[in-house]
Amino acid sequence: MKELFRGTLFACLLMLSSPAWAHAPIMGIGGVLGGALHALLIPEHGMSLVALGVFLGRQQPVARRWEALAFIAALTGGLVVIALIGEAALAADFLLVATAILGLLIAVNWAPPFLGWPLAVIIGGALALDSPPEVSSTAEVIRMLIGSGLGAAVAVALLAEAAGWFRANGALIVMRVLGSWIAAIAILVLSLRIATRMATG
Amino acid sequence: MSRTLFQSLRCLIALALALMPTVALAHSENGVAIDFKGGFSHPIFGPDHVIAMVAVGLWGAFLGMPAIWLLPVVFPLVMAFAGALGVLGVPLPGVEIGIALSAIALGSMVALAARPPLWVAALLVGAFAVFHGHAHGTELPIGADAVAFSMGFVVATGMLHLAGISFGALSRWPAGRIAVRAAGCIIAVIGLVYLYNSL
Repeated sequence: MKELFRGTLFACLLMLSSPAWAHAPIMGIGGVLGGALHALLIPEHGMSLVALGVFLGRQQPVARRWEALAFIAALTGGLVVIALIGEAALAADFLLVATAILGLLIAVNWAPPFLGWPLAVIIGGALALDSPPEVSSTAEVIRMLIGSGLGAAVAVALLAEAAGWFRANGALIVMRVLGSWIAAIAILVLSLRIATRMATG
Repeated sequence: MSRTLFQSLRCLIALALALMPTVALAHSENGVAIDFKGGFSHPIFGPDHVIAMVAVGLWGAFLGMPAIWLLPVVFPLVMAFAGALGVLGVPLPGVEIGIALSAIALGSMVALAARPPLWVAALLVGAFAVFHGHAHGTELPIGADAVAFSMGFVVATGMLHLAGISFGALSRWPAGRIAVRAAGCIIAVIGLVYLYNSL
């Protein structure tokens, strides 16, 4: 009982939604902290991190840690690329597709390691490429990107360990329902974005 | 109904409440501010959708584990796929009739205390979710704040299921069982009215 409530409280705190400021830096908060908050407070990024964390939590500890490392490697690579090119088209779409797949896998309670690797890499890369810092100073860009990377990596690591810790039946049900909601949201967002693009050319 | 189930329900309600953001200002792709509230109210202000989604929860609670959580997992997933087809303009004939039939069928299942195999129940719920999803999808505003709107929409759907499950939990007691079956009967009758209007 206590374990389940602790888990839910943890998930609630991580998923607490706040106003979405798109990809603008958070007013008054810059640097590493601003970057970390950027990674956590953009709703679709937060949703992807939760989905990946829960998915990794369903794996065996060794596989979980290797897949988390793959995520961090892809995230780091993506952050370097976005620092160099400034903008990457379709990164948000890839992120949503991978999030929808993760949500579906969580909902059906199937977490094979052979899917964990590519999905962790796609989420890491797409999340980084969808995080272009909108500031002019190079030093500030680097600080924000480091913050984004740290925020996302710490969030996934914590979520994966927490999800791995909760193995009771009730916690599993909560995760499966959460997975179905995440998949449904990702599918609807993706379709709305595609329809908007088609409508606006 | 097991203790685990009530714990899960409480956790899901807490999670759903935590998912409600206060303001959603951005990601509006063409300046149309349709936010979390818009998405949340979208399924709630359609009585035909409300009764069917509550019926899914009622029936799940009536069937017990694992249907109680499996049916509300199947419904939003299938609904989202069908919603995407509706958003993208893929036509589906007889949507209104399908929605009315969903209320009649699901309400009748509860009223008759039907206990089909789990896969049949999931298939039935999934099939009806197609009509609900498509209807919502065609009504979704293009250019909406997609993330906040979709979050509101899915959370509201989940809350309606939870409302049904909470009421369905009364079926543990003999009097509650009668009340739940009566609720199923009412849902089926309302579905008949919708079917008559849609023909």
